[in-house]
Amino acid sequence: MKSEGGPKKQDGKQRRKRRRAHVMVAFIKLTLLEAVTEFLWSDGPESLLIPGGSDILVGPRPFTDKHILIDISQVTELKKVTVGAGGVLSVGVGLTHQEIVDHPVIRRRARLLQLACGRVGSIQIRNRGTLGGNLGNASPAGDSIPALACLDARVVVAGRSRRREFDLLSFFTGPGETALQVDEVIESVQIPEREGRSVAFFKKAGQRRGMCCSKASVALLARRRSPKSLSDVRVALGAVAPTVLRIPEVEQVLEGRRLTPAVIREAAEACSRAANPIDDIRSTADYRRQVVGALLTEGLFEIADHMQLLEQRRRSAKRRGRRR
Amino acid sequence: MKITVRLQINGAEARFEVDSTERLVDTLREKAGLTGTKVGCGIGECGACSVLLDGKVVSACLVLTAQVDGAKVATVEGLGKAGELSDLQGAFVREGAIQCGYCTPGMLMAAEAILARYRRPTTEQIRKGISGNLCRCTGYAKIVSAIRKTAGRRAIQRSGR
Ligand code: FES
Ligand code: FES
Repeated sequence: MKSEGGPKKQDGKQRRKRRRAHVMVAFIKLTLLEAVTEFLWSDGPESLLIPGGSDILVGPRPFTDKHILIDISQVTELKKVTVGAGGVLSVGVGLTHQEIVDHPVIRRRARLLQLACGRVGSIQIRNRGTLGGNLGNASPAGDSIPALACLDARVVVAGRSRRREFDLLSFFTGPGETALQVDEVIESVQIPEREGRSVAFFKKAGQRRGMCCSKASVALLARRRSPKSLSDVRVALGAVAPTVLRIPEVEQVLEGRRLTPAVIREAAEACSRAANPIDDIRSTADYRRQVVGALLTEGLFEIADHMQLLEQRRRSAKRRGRRR
Repeated sequence: MKITVRLQINGAEARFEVDSTERLVDTLREKAGLTGTKVGCGIGECGACSVLLDGKVVSACLVLTAQVDGAKVATVEGLGKAGELSDLQGAFVREGAIQCGYCTPGMLMAAEAILARYRRPTTEQIRKGISGNLCRCTGYAKIVSAIRKTAGRRAIQRSGR
């Protein structure tokens, strides 16, 4: 980068680079949650929380010399995973996506979250980016959000000597906007225990599978009610509206019905209708509307197939039992 | 604001005065003189800047050096010994997994992360493990086979045969 330092004509990008190099930005590493909220309370407006930092160096946020970067990557309180009263799973948002993917307790209790975190960026990003960063950025394309919406998660935020809790979706107030106040940090997500056997999928469409930001995504979580039908169906869409959406229209289509091709088609059509996407740098509204339907179709066929397989296995086991 | 950061790079302790917004890849290239790590895109898309940070593969263009004080960093310079390629590097050469070579340092580090995680990775695991690294020359097949063969050799070495 040194070679670029000469007095050349600068385009916007270069100017930004130079600014990045020369502006004096304050930096502080804090390791206690309480210290973070205290700090935010006194210096909030200019502070930028940096958990993994994987987005800050890409994002459209040129630093200014007023900024204070607060490194929260070493706040151990944000990395806890516990199962509390009533089986509620609490996941600290300081965990990286890969830590979530590899966590055995989360595997058992919130597989859908793992499926979604496993599709964030590339392995290089997943090793650095955190759940809290994904939530705090509040991008409608944040992959963890549709999954958490299906899981009925609640968001706990810590402020100076107080805590608040939100329904996941009410926490997001617009693209890039959350209900967080200046002195607050996202602390954990709370995921209630689910009964019965779940089926789930997370599907996303993007530029390339190895590393991309979603053009559209679909998460589904349901209970296997009978060998052929689902109940308690939840479907959420990412990147097709200003914030992540739950789609009751689709949930109703699927509730208690057999997963036949006709029902799947009906659900996909409802899904495309419910999407409210825009044209932007990543994709067009038209494509997004079509592709969410296609993603849902793909996922539902996989589930139908999986359920059929389980049913066949169950039957043949029964037959074997009878013969014996 | 200048921050003093200690890093252990390829086993050697080093101290740097860095700017609060300095990227790890710049610290490595400009301050430590380790230019093996490349910058392709600078925005986390290509994986050319991949290094191991405390054993995990990350894009060094997306890491603030100030954040990783005390960390262990492994770069391509740490593979092999002076004048001698590592087993993985040798396999890359033999398999023809290198053409222009720009992706190679990052690819090698991603490969080491795969080999550390799985003793005998499947093709699928290898492909997934390097899916964050772009190579515009080789078409990946030879890279995958170089990694697979290295895994095989290491497994044999471990079992002491
Ligand atoms: S230079 Fe870092 S990912 Fe491309
Ligand atoms: S060898 Fe040229 S990019 Fe991979």
